[in-house]
Amino acid sequence: MDKLAINDLTFSYTKDSDPVLDNLNLTIKNNTFNLLFGSSGSGKSTLMQIITGLVRTNLPNLGSGTILINGQSIETWTPKQFVQEVALLFQNPREQFSMSSVEDEFVFTLENIGMLPSKIDSSIRSALERVKMLDFRNRDIDGLSGGELQKISLAITLAMDSNFIILDEPFANVDSSSRKELILLLKELQIQDGKTILIADHDLSGYDHVYDNIFHLYHHQIAALPHPEKTLAYFQSDKDEFHFQIPAENQPGVLHFADFSLDAGSKVLLDQIQLEIPTGYRILLTGDNGTGKSTLFNAISHLHPYKGVLTYKNKEVQKYKTTKLSKEVSLIFQDAQIQFLKMTVSEEIELSLKHARFSEIWSPEFITKNLSLLNLIGFENHIVYQLSGGQKKKLQILEMLMLGNPLVLMDEPLAGLDIESVIQVLDMIKKVCELQKQSLIMISHQLVGTKNFFNYHLELKDKNLYFSERLDDGLFD
Amino acid sequence: MDSSIKLLLVLLISFELAFVQSIVVNILVIVLGMSYLLVKKVKLQKLLLLIIIPIIPVASTWSSFYVNGTGDFIHSAWLLSSRIYAYIILGGIFSFTTSINDLLSSLEQNWHVPSKFVYGTLGAFNFAPRVRNSMLQIKTAALMRGEVLHVWSPQIFFKAILLSLRWSDNLSRAMQSHGYAENNVRTHYRKQRIPAWNWVLFITIFGVFQFIVLKKLP
Repeated sequence: MDKLAINDLTFSYTKDSDPVLDNLNLTIKNNTFNLLFGSSGSGKSTLMQIITGLVRTNLPNLGSGTILINGQSIETWTPKQFVQEVALLFQNPREQFSMSSVEDEFVFTLENIGMLPSKIDSSIRSALERVKMLDFRNRDIDGLSGGELQKISLAITLAMDSNFIILDEPFANVDSSSRKELILLLKELQIQDGKTILIADHDLSGYDHVYDNIFHLYHHQIAALPHPEKTLAYFQSDKDEFHFQIPAENQPGVLHFADFSLDAGSKVLLDQIQLEIPTGYRILLTGDNGTGKSTLFNAISHLHPYKGVLTYKNKEVQKYKTTKLSKEVSLIFQDAQIQFLKMTVSEEIELSLKHARFSEIWSPEFITKNLSLLNLIGFENHIVYQLSGGQKKKLQILEMLMLGNPLVLMDEPLAGLDIESVIQVLDMIKKVCELQKQSLIMISHQLVGTKNFFNYHLELKDKNLYFSERLDDGLFD
Repeated sequence: MDSSIKLLLVLLISFELAFVQSIVVNILVIVLGMSYLLVKKVKLQKLLLLIIIPIIPVASTWSSFYVNGTGDFIHSAWLLSSRIYAYIILGGIFSFTTSINDLLSSLEQNWHVPSKFVYGTLGAFNFAPRVRNSMLQIKTAALMRGEVLHVWSPQIFFKAILLSLRWSDNLSRAMQSHGYAENNVRTHYRKQRIPAWNWVLFITIFGVFQFIVLKKLP
């Protein structure tokens, strides 16, 4: 029997808006491993929330069509029925936990589905054992990494005994070694435990030997991908493709570290760093999750204390006034929305223009050119908070670059962008940074499409920060 | 003692204290309450703060009655200021010796408070540590756009409201994705029964308190 059968599904969020999904059909067979591929903002999340009952389509005028799971219509299902048949893992695992510890979240979930109290303990134990996370039972949610949280989420779906596991961009907050481990674990659950898996992902790397079907969500409909091997091959980046130069000595520097140390609580992140970062280049910063890349950015922009010497343009960073420093160093936050201050796209652009260091560059023509490069033409009067995730990110990068600050720090700006958008964004960053003679340091796990973009590569590993010619093995294996 | 019974007792005694005109009763509540906190091994530092922080409101209450009061103003001054301390100790008894988790699950299981209220509150409590951090982030993010946001800037409130709307949405999705629904019949892994001796103790303490109050002490 088919696990999932969707017939002619049409859905829009409000009565007057264009449909997000339009006459969509999809069939998924029992006990298969499926990928749903599509660009950011194409409606993958909406589709997954509809299948798992978080968004209901049977509201008048918003949706039509039928959805069957195990041959039954989901129209009248209660949340309890949903989770026992089909489980959803969120893109950001932190947002899926409402309790403060791992055990409490398990107990909350199992009480919700009405499990007998005498069975709860053994059920938690066996689910955690299945994902090899038994030691984490009494841990607080706050201290866990993205990868650990996704494994706990997966264990919860096992405890609920849902046979159909749906994952919405589950690796966006997970480093590449955990990504690989999770994909293998999911494959194992499919083969050994008879689960059906559906993963939405915009990045197809690492799936080449595990998938049964790839579906493409494009123009509000689903089609099988015509040449899956070709598309997959595109994502199998070869780490040998990336080779970086080591910067020559005695270049003018933008940042200078001497005996620089950084810690988070009791954990030492960086220890006695001596480093000179040359000015005017685009630099990639890599390192495993939790090694302190974002904390380093925070230290450079007054959001985190440090020890030792860190100078920007030959002056100690701590001696700058924060308002003065913010006119020199731009920190582009991972969460785009937090950086918006006005309501519409054009108002946002206007605000950036007001503070632009090189306002002569930003003529209306040049702004329009960049907006069209980013596919944002026609959205000028849209409310910024209603843009798609990818559009928000692109707008944020543009308006931060417009300020023209000499040093730009970007924290995972490419996460969640589809490959087309990555290429547009990098192209714009390169042109603008060269024009305004800006130095750029970018943290990024997502490296597809970044070939020839970066001049140098900084690696953060074992409490050390240094220029490196190659990418660490862990990044691609 | 079960936290919901303790809450009920503290509330009833506080309510009654508002009508009792006796300094001695207030001092009795303070002394007994303090000894309970000491027996429960509440940190000395916390107890000291409990005494030090209200000094200004207590002193100003006392002096305003002393300076402006009519009738038996010295009695009123001591009565009102000792009452403030009695309330503070009663509050301390409740907040230092019970946990929000225990109280909420007892309210759910014994008093049939709707689970929507119980888990909504619990979820919100778990969000609380993120609030401070988020305000700092909002300010810095704006500073990076060249705009300085002050505590009184309307934008900071707008951003905070947007953030809390997003959080409330996220929380309800998170709870639903783990099988929560308002009208579900839920089971309970950790039983929070109120043992009979709790009621006996409750009635005894409350009874003895009535007895003391009726004695009409000065």
